[in-house]
Amino acid sequence: MPGNSSFDAIIIGGGHNGLVCANILARKNKRVLICEARKECGGMVNNDITNYVPPVTSAVSSSIGGMQINYVPKTTIALSETGQHIRLVGNQHIDHKSISTFSSHDADRFNDFHEKMSKFSKTLGSFMMASPPRIMNNSFSDYFKLFKLGLNVRLLGKKNFNEFARMIGLNIADELEDNFENTLLQGLIAHDSVIGSNLGPRSPGSLINLLYRMAIHNNSLFGGIFQIEGGNDQFTKHLIEKCKSNNVEIKTSASVKNCIIENDCAVGIELNNGEKMYAKKIISNADPRSTYFSLLGSQNLDTDVKRKIKHHRSKGRVAKLILELDKLPSFNNCDDNDLDSRMVVAPSIDYIEETYNPSKFDKLSLEPTLEICVKKDSDQNPKLDIQVQYAPYKTHQGWENVKVNYIESIIKIISKYAPNINECIERKKLLTPDDIESEYNVSGGHWHHGEIQIDQLFMMRPIPGASQYKTHLDGLFMCGAGTHPGGGLTGISGKNAAKAVLDDF
Amino acid sequence: MTQDLRYSALKKTPFHSRTSLASRTNKYYNWNGYTVPTEYSTTELEYTAARNGTSVMDLTPMGKYEIIGDHAHQFVDYLVTRDLSKMKDNTVAYIIWCNEDGKVIDDGTIFKFSSTKFMLCCAVKIYNWLNDSAYGFDVTITDVTDTIAALAIQGPTSCSTLKKFGATDLETLKPFEMREYKIDGFDILISRTGFTGDLGYELWTDPKNAETTWDNIEIAGKELKLRPFGMYALEMTRIEAGFIQTNTDFMAAEDSLRPTRMRSPYEIGMGWLVHLNKNSYFVGKKALKKEKEENSTERCLVGLDIDGDKPAHGSVIYNSKKEDIGIVTAALWSPIMKKNIALASLKRPYGIKIKENIFAEIYHPEELEYRKIWARCKVVKRQFFNPERRNKVPADLYE
Repeated sequence: MPGNSSFDAIIIGGGHNGLVCANILARKNKRVLICEARKECGGMVNNDITNYVPPVTSAVSSSIGGMQINYVPKTTIALSETGQHIRLVGNQHIDHKSISTFSSHDADRFNDFHEKMSKFSKTLGSFMMASPPRIMNNSFSDYFKLFKLGLNVRLLGKKNFNEFARMIGLNIADELEDNFENTLLQGLIAHDSVIGSNLGPRSPGSLINLLYRMAIHNNSLFGGIFQIEGGNDQFTKHLIEKCKSNNVEIKTSASVKNCIIENDCAVGIELNNGEKMYAKKIISNADPRSTYFSLLGSQNLDTDVKRKIKHHRSKGRVAKLILELDKLPSFNNCDDNDLDSRMVVAPSIDYIEETYNPSKFDKLSLEPTLEICVKKDSDQNPKLDIQVQYAPYKTHQGWENVKVNYIESIIKIISKYAPNINECIERKKLLTPDDIESEYNVSGGHWHHGEIQIDQLFMMRPIPGASQYKTHLDGLFMCGAGTHPGGGLTGISGKNAAKAVLDDF
Repeated sequence: MTQDLRYSALKKTPFHSRTSLASRTNKYYNWNGYTVPTEYSTTELEYTAARNGTSVMDLTPMGKYEIIGDHAHQFVDYLVTRDLSKMKDNTVAYIIWCNEDGKVIDDGTIFKFSSTKFMLCCAVKIYNWLNDSAYGFDVTITDVTDTIAALAIQGPTSCSTLKKFGATDLETLKPFEMREYKIDGFDILISRTGFTGDLGYELWTDPKNAETTWDNIEIAGKELKLRPFGMYALEMTRIEAGFIQTNTDFMAAEDSLRPTRMRSPYEIGMGWLVHLNKNSYFVGKKALKKEKEENSTERCLVGLDIDGDKPAHGSVIYNSKKEDIGIVTAALWSPIMKKNIALASLKRPYGIKIKENIFAEIYHPEELEYRKIWARCKVVKRQFFNPERRNKVPADLYE
């Protein structure tokens, strides 16, 4: 070990997972340094990118000594051109009433559907908290974990077991059309199944995406959606403060060039400015592709590992449109309370699927689905933060040539629900997946650092052989959303990674 | 002349007009999609030429890959287990390469022209493996199998034959060196390499030059016992030399279906080609390091000197308690050694610590009946035949 190995651990990237991991290590008396390439920590949890967050689990919260932040639950509204919006809060009785104004059939169905999905997401969730087994290890505890998931699923009972098996590879559209008659309700649930992913509602596997989302949102479809009092960046601010009180050293504007490898072991990092720092463990909060190809370097990887990382699917399809306003537009048939809600433009399954289709060919759909969030900027001026799906990672014409048109087409859609939107806009800013990639140093600009799909879940996340927060290089770990259980701003990856690192000391 | 591929499943090498003329038996086989002779006249005669005169073999179907680019040297060093960081220009090195589990994919030779240009030769096709491995390196890999005609010129009089053919001062070329010649207006690369374990050379040239080269070598070797030789004779000579053959002596890691059939370099006697102390990483290093540290090598590939004169083709090897301890991968009655020899893959410690009381069960066919022979074996060095002339500089010359 080189002489100036003054840290126990260096964490590359100060996203929320990196911050959680740093706090846990520091609480175990480890000297921790965080190197963040951007001017401030927080990664993609900030007021620009993040609209809504799931609640932090008690396990994560207690592992860092409690989180003193207040979560404000948010209602979800499926906007309708006719003004017949559907409002859902995640409460069985209120939602039943709300849906029954459109269809009593759907209202009853919704409760059954929700109960079933909730049961399955709990089963899945029980598996999500711990680190995944690693089948290559041949260890008893790993096989036992796998056995336990199988057992949990089996204990659902024969009927549910069969139903779970039926649903695991299913597309959400079929399931919704079998259950509901209201296309707006179908559209809303389908939207939440595919948000942040590379799937359309009719793509196989889109249903498991929804279960996954529910598992981190209190096993509820619409009940676990929150904003943080004082802005979503309070989440990271709080973590940073904790870091400070735990004596974690944070270096910002410190972009890491690569890992320093000695005797086939990661012993330190080199910054882009040439500065070198050494530690016993190196932990990457970066996405798997950057971790392997940039930090580790392709000359240090086995061929098959390169193949696996190249196959890793991490192209984002969500763009972010920020409209700064001088006044709030009036949305048809919406009151002030509604404006404080999560507004979704996804009128039907077919609408979403048609939006999805061109993105498969790297083309733009001029009628994208939207998740609209009304916020206030630092000067208390209102702004609309809009998640736009599906925006391809790259377009044939080049993003710079189509950006203006794309923004106008999105505003045109909003104007169907808020006719005076054009009069209110002061400034427009579009972050394409491409922009998110370069601005936040995330390969592909993917929310979750990689698709949440069956081939990239559990012991296959991010790639087989690297599933327990270890990379293929001794001494180098991963703690980002690319690891199990993946994105969704839970901090579980960071927590599990910290445990893996501590076990290795 | 363009070939109508609809009617020829197998390609013909640039030497085909000559090799087919020399063939007396019409025995061919498919090597990497080319049709090439297994035997021209009789294998024994061809073998005799290789050990006493000059033998000529069409090597064109061998997989040949050009590796060009700023990172070529770095990439080659990363690809193979051997430390090539100090490899000199115009030299050749014998190499093996492994997958991520440290299991051998294939062996071959690497030719270094400069730090930005290499050529890799091996028995099977590995373009995809090379390309996938090259990700992240500034190199371009081109399959030049079809664009380079190659001949093996092997045997005690091979140097004299090639000198007469026009390769001046060839005797000064050291083993594993190569030199560019201009003969009859064509560029010809000659390397002192081969697969017979004897004095020998390999010759690389433009396919347009193939027929003229063949004819002129035949003329040059007329008084030097020159004879074309096929795959069967090559198999005899390579067993005597103790060279291994992929998918014969071990299963290529990329081809074997059963993970337990894959072999690490230590299991096929290629440990000397693994340099774990190499400064940079190479494919399979982590796994090989672990194998070495844990001493988990399970098998070994050894030479056997077997009693009697009946070759032990495919024989099962037993210990004195009649427990199965391995299998013969290649066997031969060696005419030059006058010995019954074989290569065998044994379960350790047999072959390493226990070298005595090992037996082969030989089934010897005699006109539709098998005679079962229980033959005692001695574990010996795999390199059965290694004449002094093989590495002598200057090489022996004959009139």
